[in-house]
Amino acid sequence: MKRLLTIALLALASATPGVADNVDLVTLPNRDTVQLTIYNSADLTMVRETRHVTLKKGRNELQFSWANTLIDPTSVEFRPRRHKDKIELQTTVFPGQKSQHLIWHIDSKVEGQVEVEVSYFTSGLTWQMDYVAVTDPAEETMRFTGHVRVSNRSGEEYDNAQVRLIVGKVNLVEQIAKLARQRGMTPPAPKSGRYSRLRKEAAEKAFARAGVAGGKRRDEARIIKEGVSEYFMFTVDGHETIPNGWSKRMPAVRASKTKFDIVYRLREHQYGPRPVRFFTWKNDEEHKLGDSPLPNGRVRLFRENGRDGLAYLGEQLVRYVPIKAPVEVNLGPDDLIVAELTKGKTTRRAFRFDKHQRVNGWDEEAAYMQTVRNYRNKPIRFELRRVFGGDVELTPELESTLFDYRTLDTKFNVKPRDKTEFRYKTLTHFGANKKQNRVTLK
Amino acid sequence: MRRFLLLFLLALLARPVAARVKLAALPRRERVEIRLDHGRFTLVEEERIVPLLQSTDRRGNNRVDFSWANTRIDKNSIQFRPIAIRDQGRFRPLRDGEVKVINVSYPPNENALVWEVFSAKACALKVRVSYLISNLTRRFAYRALANNDETHLTLRKYLRISNWSGEGFGEAGVWAGFGPTFRRKIGNQQDLKLLIQRFERVPIKKTFTFDWYTYGALNPAKPLASKVRLHYELQNRRKDGLGAYPLQPGKVRIFIEDKRGGEAFLGEDWARLTPIDDKMRLFLGEARDVICTRTIKSNQRHRVHGNLFHQELVLRYEIENYKKTPVTLDIVERMNRIAQQYGRAPKGGAEWIGGEQTTPALRITTERGHALPVLHATVPAAGEKPQKHVFEFHFTIKNLW
Repeated sequence: MKRLLTIALLALASATPGVADNVDLVTLPNRDTVQLTIYNSADLTMVRETRHVTLKKGRNELQFSWANTLIDPTSVEFRPRRHKDKIELQTTVFPGQKSQHLIWHIDSKVEGQVEVEVSYFTSGLTWQMDYVAVTDPAEETMRFTGHVRVSNRSGEEYDNAQVRLIVGKVNLVEQIAKLARQRGMTPPAPKSGRYSRLRKEAAEKAFARAGVAGGKRRDEARIIKEGVSEYFMFTVDGHETIPNGWSKRMPAVRASKTKFDIVYRLREHQYGPRPVRFFTWKNDEEHKLGDSPLPNGRVRLFRENGRDGLAYLGEQLVRYVPIKAPVEVNLGPDDLIVAELTKGKTTRRAFRFDKHQRVNGWDEEAAYMQTVRNYRNKPIRFELRRVFGGDVELTPELESTLFDYRTLDTKFNVKPRDKTEFRYKTLTHFGANKKQNRVTLK
Repeated sequence: MRRFLLLFLLALLARPVAARVKLAALPRRERVEIRLDHGRFTLVEEERIVPLLQSTDRRGNNRVDFSWANTRIDKNSIQFRPIAIRDQGRFRPLRDGEVKVINVSYPPNENALVWEVFSAKACALKVRVSYLISNLTRRFAYRALANNDETHLTLRKYLRISNWSGEGFGEAGVWAGFGPTFRRKIGNQQDLKLLIQRFERVPIKKTFTFDWYTYGALNPAKPLASKVRLHYELQNRRKDGLGAYPLQPGKVRIFIEDKRGGEAFLGEDWARLTPIDDKMRLFLGEARDVICTRTIKSNQRHRVHGNLFHQELVLRYEIENYKKTPVTLDIVERMNRIAQQYGRAPKGGAEWIGGEQTTPALRITTERGHALPVLHATVPAAGEKPQKHVFEFHFTIKNLW
């Protein structure tokens, strides 16, 4: 790492012009702490590191370089941690002869070792959530675990870093990767071959020295969760080592005996012609969750199959779930739930004719039967939403509501190994008889 | 097998400096279970016994390295679950805090992952690793043998496993999603066909279907006749010797016993998924001994007002049965197509009413929808001289324009 990202106290730390020459003599202070704050909505990580440097009274020059990494040079900042009123950053120079270098001119009123903080934005560190839910054989409760997976493709290796993860959408006017240009070179586009090569070369260098991830640890990392403005922050307690090119996955959310509901939905306009099976629960205390929002992530669902093993049920990407909001996972069509719609008798009446005695308006009365057959051994909850076009008067036999001006919403139960027949009649006004474009419930 | 899929134990590698230099113990697979219950994904669960060292501040935690080559494992689906610990020579369930999976790391450009595992003491740990694997698939196939009278059949159900996953599994427990688990060796690049169930004397119903608009004219010599399609129907219910599990979709080859102790091939069809208590319908082919000729006996238009009219039609069916048994022919009529052909394309579904002069023996059902009536005509067995049996369907399609 230190080869890639260095902060150096120039030995010729005076106002001599030699600092911009190609021959430098420098001392390399070690990095004491690193804190990574990784945003998942953009390719953005804020790195804060502390180091100890020795300053003399008067003007000092510090060189900071970041060869083969994806750091935004406009974001690099220097701050003293102590003696803030006695140490002042006067100028920052980006030497023309060297790319990915800068020199800070610092005026110090103290002499000796001081702790300084350097922060910058970098690209190539990402994190994402994924979730695993394992239900009991009866599909009534589940164990729910969420993991954060931090990936490091920054070209830099972070040892013993404190990791903070931000859930939320930040606004960036320019991509960090674009700003991480080398001076005197055209900035590589984030998806260009040059950009990939840059990352690859940096990764290879770091990887050559990378070992197995993880430091000494007696217990699993605790994830501390807190709200920050409109964002939510997960802080991984302790320190992690994330070599370049590696990903690390840590448990972040855990709940057991979480109750959930199973509901079948038939919404042809949304999910296609077959009913789909949903597992639903809430991100709240009642469901042993709710201490943080659930960030975007893929949920994989398994069922204990009652034979000392698992059965795979399916997976789905869930979008950000706020605290107390419902979680819904679509498992797709279920072969054991069959829905059929048959159109019954149709009659037409109330004909209107134009001046040429041609039909230009009529009403059509039609009967429909929606049959739902449940071949499972458990009763099911079924939700039907159907969209109608035109001026329709609807007479359903089961209690129904309108989801919107043209969508019927009906919920009913189907007994195990049984069927439910939901009949409804439509009276549709066509042509000159059509007054509105909406559904009216009778 | 171990060439393709390996599980390493990296004992207490605290801070390696070389790039993934590994000293590894190779725990054998103690048990493998292959779950084929999901139609699209195959889940493999394997158990291994992993020796762990006590985690200490000096040595850090244990690292278990799982890697594979030439095998399509969904990296993100891999689960690692400690399930038991060896204590006084026997495995017992884990107690709180004894063993914990701290995290999992994914090295770059490798089909591998590394679990960091905390262990309170040195022990032998039984772990279960589960993952989804590609190219290990299953299909179902059936062989049906009907008796000569076509009243019953013997149904054999086969499971066909194709393993092109790149990995072989010795003595794996295989579960197809129903019934018992059975143990088989499933080698790489192997196809296995296993008889998993046999059902004796399953009652069948033979049906004959006539559908003019779907199948058209039978041949140039009989332009007004159409194909009569032959099906076997069986019900997946306990009363009929089935009904324990849904019948999975698959190819059914149907044979019939001949009178000399042999068998003849009748045809084959794709069976759809048949849940318990539902009906499986198998298409066998065409019935040549039942001929139905359909003619339009009458076609009359009745003007109502302006351009509005009713279309009155009489369809005449002449059915010849050359079989020695009575036959019920199911005649499918498509009212929207009739309206379009003889009147006008209806706006929405055709509105029709039956006429009183319809042959009383013609039973009409509308289970598939009012615009799709099915007429059931029963004709007696052929006698000395086969006869033509005539049925008439009178109806009026209303309000066309």
